[in-house]
Amino acid sequence: MSVKQKEKPILEVKDLVAEFTTAAGRLRILDGIDFSLFPAEILALVGETGCGKSVTAKSIMNLLAEQVCKRRGKVMMDGVNLLDLSKKQMRSYLGRRISMIFQNPIASINPVFTLGEQIRRLVRIHMAGEITRVKSELGCTTAAAIDRLAAANLEKVGLTDVDQLMRAYAHQISGGMAQRYRIATAVLGNPDVLIADEATSALDVTVQAHILRLLKRLSAEKNTAIIFITHDLGIAAQLCQQVAVMYSGRIVEVAPTAELFKNPLHPYTRGLLKAVPQLSRKTGLEHIPGTIPDLRNPPSGCRFHPRCRQAMERCRRLRPPLVETKSHQVCCHLYDAGNKEAAWAKS
Amino acid sequence: MGEVLIRTQSLRTWFPKRKSLLGKPGAWLKAVDDVSLTIYRGECLGLAGESGCGKSTLGRTILQLVKPRSGSVRFDGTALRNLDFRQLQPFRPRMQMVFQDPRSSLNPKMTMLKILAEAIRANPDHDGDSILDQAVELADMVDLRPEHLFRYPHEFSGGQQQRICIARALATCPDFIVFDESTSALDVSVQAQILNLIKRLKQRLGLTYLFISHDLNVLAQVCERIAVMYAGQIVEIQESGRLFSSPGHPYTRGLRDAVPIADPEAKQTFVSIKGEVPSLVDPPAGCRFHPRCDFADRLCATRVPELQRLERHRSWIRCHRYRQLNFNQERR
Amino acid sequence: MKDELKYKHLAEQAAREHRRERKIRTIAFLKRKSAAAALLVLVLITLAAVFAPLVAPYPDQGKGAVNLGERLQPLSGKHLLGTDTFGRDILSRLVYGARVSIFGGLFIVCAAALIGVPLGLWAGYSEGAPGVVISRIGEILISFPAVLIAIAITTVIGAGLTSAVIALIIPWWPWYARIIQGEVLRLKRMLFVEAAQMLGYGKSYILFRHLLPNIMRTVMVMMLLDFGPAIISIGLLGFLGLGTQPPNADWGLMVWEGAPNLMQQPWIAISPGAAMFILVMAFNIFGDNLQDYLDG
Repeated sequence: MSVKQKEKPILEVKDLVAEFTTAAGRLRILDGIDFSLFPAEILALVGETGCGKSVTAKSIMNLLAEQVCKRRGKVMMDGVNLLDLSKKQMRSYLGRRISMIFQNPIASINPVFTLGEQIRRLVRIHMAGEITRVKSELGCTTAAAIDRLAAANLEKVGLTDVDQLMRAYAHQISGGMAQRYRIATAVLGNPDVLIADEATSALDVTVQAHILRLLKRLSAEKNTAIIFITHDLGIAAQLCQQVAVMYSGRIVEVAPTAELFKNPLHPYTRGLLKAVPQLSRKTGLEHIPGTIPDLRNPPSGCRFHPRCRQAMERCRRLRPPLVETKSHQVCCHLYDAGNKEAAWAKS
Repeated sequence: MGEVLIRTQSLRTWFPKRKSLLGKPGAWLKAVDDVSLTIYRGECLGLAGESGCGKSTLGRTILQLVKPRSGSVRFDGTALRNLDFRQLQPFRPRMQMVFQDPRSSLNPKMTMLKILAEAIRANPDHDGDSILDQAVELADMVDLRPEHLFRYPHEFSGGQQQRICIARALATCPDFIVFDESTSALDVSVQAQILNLIKRLKQRLGLTYLFISHDLNVLAQVCERIAVMYAGQIVEIQESGRLFSSPGHPYTRGLRDAVPIADPEAKQTFVSIKGEVPSLVDPPAGCRFHPRCDFADRLCATRVPELQRLERHRSWIRCHRYRQLNFNQERR
Repeated sequence: MKDELKYKHLAEQAAREHRRERKIRTIAFLKRKSAAAALLVLVLITLAAVFAPLVAPYPDQGKGAVNLGERLQPLSGKHLLGTDTFGRDILSRLVYGARVSIFGGLFIVCAAALIGVPLGLWAGYSEGAPGVVISRIGEILISFPAVLIAIAITTVIGAGLTSAVIALIIPWWPWYARIIQGEVLRLKRMLFVEAAQMLGYGKSYILFRHLLPNIMRTVMVMMLLDFGPAIISIGLLGFLGLGTQPPNADWGLMVWEGAPNLMQQPWIAISPGAAMFILVMAFNIFGDNLQDYLDG
């Protein structure tokens, strides 16, 4: 993302646009999203309800039906635009190259099969090489090898009592266990990219802590890059190396985590950081006035300008350009070339 | 401050779980089990805990929306438990509640004015002729404009809907309001607006709050004291600053350390409490937290610890070993 | 005083806004071709039924007077849909038969709702014994075939439209009670009900002020969608000889009367069958559209 990174990105999203056709007219949920993801990097995609963070994830995964949602732009992986792939072609990427986990883990597990049946099926699809290796090493049957690998994968995510768990159905396990199970199934094909869509929001904090630790470990051990979509800036600060802030269908600021929290540039990021309640904060909360814009009729120019204390005349007219500073990328007129002095004075 | 507004003693709210053929419950879900709690006039008491620990049920039991199985609730000196519907009516306007989901809290077929008017009329002492004026005043208190009064709930955003709920709670001129996860469904920027509003109203109107939330960060913003609940019981009550700097109970400490801090410099390791929340039908013997506690000994596994008062004013703890543990010195 | 005026102005402004919104939605609803066509059909048939003596070319034949001089006439300018075995003009009989279908259906649906909705409200809100008793009675009634009930009633008060309608209402209302009971149980969990309890309001107030207005929509859609089945059921009982008695006109009865001549004079049986098909379709299409409209 920043200039310093020399590595090649594993996933590049370029000018991604998503439009939904509804009775109320056409809603442009994503209005030109750009970001890159590097190997083993954990990127936080933060923003409030309706900013389009979940749609971004679903667009990358090609999960949205073309009739409902028109997409333009590029999601590049190994020189292939995932948006051009058919459902069938996409299937060869899912699980092996790119995987996703969701907010409600129990609902995202098929309720009519046992957990064992489901994970064994995935092992058979994704771990063919491993199966032969285990078979030759232990001299056991294919079924036994699959069983062994399935159990090993579940243990890797910190699940205990694996035998019993494999016989259980989705509704019989707790949310924390279900999310661990989902992670186990999602990373079993060793994907390069894992997208976690509010993956811990429905869990209690103590359970959330376990899951965050697990994801951190996975990313370090397996070199998996993670896009962690969340509204919780605490998680972004603790888990992620890079943070992208979204507002109303656009990314307004991207920076390495430490930079973003220490020196936020975009007025929205600044407002958001001041609005986060924190244990240690003694002073009162400051809030951003107003509400998120109505996408049926989005504000002109910069979409944040009606709520921005520093809005200028041109914010109303022109869409802000992407400005690159030493470490940040920010979309704001305050940092325009012509306006630089004013900006630095304010920051 | 110092006057007691609400006192509960050994409050138990159990729900029948399985019913046998004769209609006798085979098991009880002990949502609230032996809770003694004092809320002082003018304070905001926080109630923290994970989902399913019984914090919402405790709030509803105090308000007599759910009848307890045993124990007592005294509101301003009057025992509420044995009052019937009519006898409770004079107390209803004095205690109000704001829920988590503002959308479901507002009747979709009623305008904001009708919603507020219904609440104003619920107070027997209300001034009959000026309901509209009072509604305008209430709207103003929660930063809504008079023209909003004539709109239906679906025409408002989530934050605005929650403002209407707060206005409705204020309409009866209550002494006491329970906020049940009232800001959890809102976005950060809107949550900050509502929290500030709630704080301002407390000062302006001299209200007493019970603020229920799973989010310690939010509680730290609004509460003077915080009670931590685990598996149907209160495990610790502390002044809020002290609770975070030097938690007495191992569970409180674990909970605090699990909350992600919005500051990358605080390098959190997320070493969290092991295991998962126990079932309320069949809670562990002895200290309910002992299977997950790193410091549990044999006593913890067998004897139920009492809620004991600490030397400090208005602080309580339910732990056999808190004296030895002393988390005071360590800082995170 | 000045404030009062200001608020009045604001209230009017909001009301205007809401009216305008409703108008826009209604227009959008009527612009859907299927909804408009269905509504048109319904209005035309209803008007024909109401003004049958004016619409029918031969009102006395519609009521049953025989006209043996013109038996089994095919379609012609004089008898647009031909005549039946007794020489009666089929169009006239269709128009009179529409009265039975429309008003019989209306009566069944309204009566079922009038009995079922209050019982459903009661069963849902009181929980405990009344709920169980009402649902058990309902289940028993639903499991009886209407034909069986109709035969039983016929033996007591004789065959006729009245006994057919009563026979249909008996197993019909429990559906309303059941759905409404479910709706009440769902709504009772809504927090606005708890908020009203917090304000000290009693059960009946909450039931009528909070629950009933939110249930009306369901009842309306249900009644509209029930019209079709009700009309078919009346026709069926008529066809079986358990409903309207000759020489009165009823679409089901007309189909039965035309059945023996189906090969030689098919129009006698087909016209009432087609009429019923069109009417039921119109009700279903309109009901579906209305549901979308109310949900939207």
